[in-house]
Amino acid sequence: MTPLPEQLRREIEDFLYLEARLADESRYDEWEALVADDMQYWVPRGRADYDPADRLSYINDNRARLATRIRQLKTGLRHAQTPPSPMRRVVSNIEILAVDHEAGVYTVGSNFVLYELAVQAGTSLRVWPGRVTHRLRRVEGELRMARKVVELVTAEAPQWNMAFLI
Amino acid sequence: MAGQYATLVRDDRVHGSLYTDPTIFAEEMDRIFRRGWVFLGHESEIAAPGDWVTRSIGLESVIMVRDRDGAIRVLANRCAHRGNRLCWKERGHDSRFQCIYHGWTFGLDGSLRAVSHKAGFDPARGDMPLDRAGQVDSHRGFIFANMSGDAGPLADHLGAGGRALIDRLCDLSPSGRIHFGAGWIGHRVESNWKMWPESDSDGYHLDFVHASMLRAVPDNYYDETVIGGESKNVSRAIDHGGGVNELDLRPSYRRELAWLGTSRDKVASYCAALEARHGKERADRLLWDGPPHGFIFPNLFLGEGNVARVDPVDVGAVLHVHTALQLEGVDPALNRRLVRQSEAGLGPASFIVPDDAIIAERMQLGFQGLKPPLNESDNGPGWVDLSRGRARESHEADGTRVGHVSDETTNRSFWRHYRHVMESRA
Repeated sequence: MTPLPEQLRREIEDFLYLEARLADESRYDEWEALVADDMQYWVPRGRADYDPADRLSYINDNRARLATRIRQLKTGLRHAQTPPSPMRRVVSNIEILAVDHEAGVYTVGSNFVLYELAVQAGTSLRVWPGRVTHRLRRVEGELRMARKVVELVTAEAPQWNMAFLI
Repeated sequence: MAGQYATLVRDDRVHGSLYTDPTIFAEEMDRIFRRGWVFLGHESEIAAPGDWVTRSIGLESVIMVRDRDGAIRVLANRCAHRGNRLCWKERGHDSRFQCIYHGWTFGLDGSLRAVSHKAGFDPARGDMPLDRAGQVDSHRGFIFANMSGDAGPLADHLGAGGRALIDRLCDLSPSGRIHFGAGWIGHRVESNWKMWPESDSDGYHLDFVHASMLRAVPDNYYDETVIGGESKNVSRAIDHGGGVNELDLRPSYRRELAWLGTSRDKVASYCAALEARHGKERADRLLWDGPPHGFIFPNLFLGEGNVARVDPVDVGAVLHVHTALQLEGVDPALNRRLVRQSEAGLGPASFIVPDDAIIAERMQLGFQGLKPPLNESDNGPGWVDLSRGRARESHEADGTRVGHVSDETTNRSFWRHYRHVMESRA
């Protein structure tokens, strides 16, 4: 892979940080504005080494189901996120894994640690560590998410409510 | 004088300390989970001899394994020598189980096959097999076990009502067989386990707890089956007895295949295969009725296109573990649709159950610190009212009770049997 122009690397990193902050702050509309029309949002049960068509995942949203997810959160009646969990995630170890300059498609790996204060029933600090693989595509000059795969460190274990944007 | 559980579990209400008292929890693990039938899994998960999965019976880890002769064994996941855990993965395939502590080896039937450095082994100890379930049986591939071995026949535990629920699910397959190949998803909830037999079979809460889902998913069949007020809705809550209960949504479906969110032309080969097996009349009925919504005491939820286990963790924590209904011998696209439906309904990031989980956790918080009533005339604080529909439910000749879908008939079904078990196995 030829070295990536520093400006592009910076743009990609900025996108990841923005995406993380909008998710942390449950700013659903602004987060959804970062999503491409063919977005796949996948949180596998275990490693991302199986076909999610045939086996259950925690989340396997196509664009339409992701829209439903956000619509539900925005009703104000989604008890599992009422009120929304205060969250902060640290995004690190960003690597550009693949680049297709012609198509404007970039595959990016990163690690994260998300701290969630579950406040919907009692108050519990929950830690969600994992790795994200983003596929970003340039759409009308702007980067958009075409795919976000979240491999949780705990993905084989039972999970608490995960009704926020992870 | 009434027993302790008759004091806590009345015909129309139960006491909140039932969800928070660690002594009660310990008694439940013995009387309900160790000395009664418990749902474990499905034959398709251990198809070949040597296939095994680990499961829980109450707090005890067990190995569910297919023996060489095809029989299913349920073995304590605990070496007979010093108690080390034998299998620490979710599933595997082995010809024997070897403990890595001192190398003792056990057959698939749990018998002790080899002891390392055996000169020092006292032959008078004789055979030292793994502890194992005294009873293992299945119905249409659904495997149940009872550790104590004296729980009576499985068919009696399930009753006609429970067997019919499982039959209805399996009959949706053109071969009569389903499988659990979609895998299990575990959802951890900080509530007592009994919140789940209650919530999973509650037909009264949908338009409140699931208002956000109903708004976000405009074209869902719950609108017609469980919403719409008392007068318009004709779904039923049924107590089959023995802790088996059902929300019967069938009377409310307004078209065939509503439960699958599709129409006949889109799944024509499936409809034809079903007709070939059952004949037109029965196939048409099945396509209209879809899978059941029922609960079988103490831990099996048949949630339409889902099958779930309720695994207690401790008095204030539980795992709700589910898989998707998968039909044998159908177009893969149909099973994929069932996987998508399951992801929408159950699991920690789904559109439905996370909201139930929050309610369960809030109830759990509300029951903290309650003192159990001293006797039958003690009407102190902390009761859960379950009286809804008592006056109007009908008592059928076969012993079933039938109420409106929003009636607490199903919850009373669970608790009546709970009281019976806890008192009779005291």
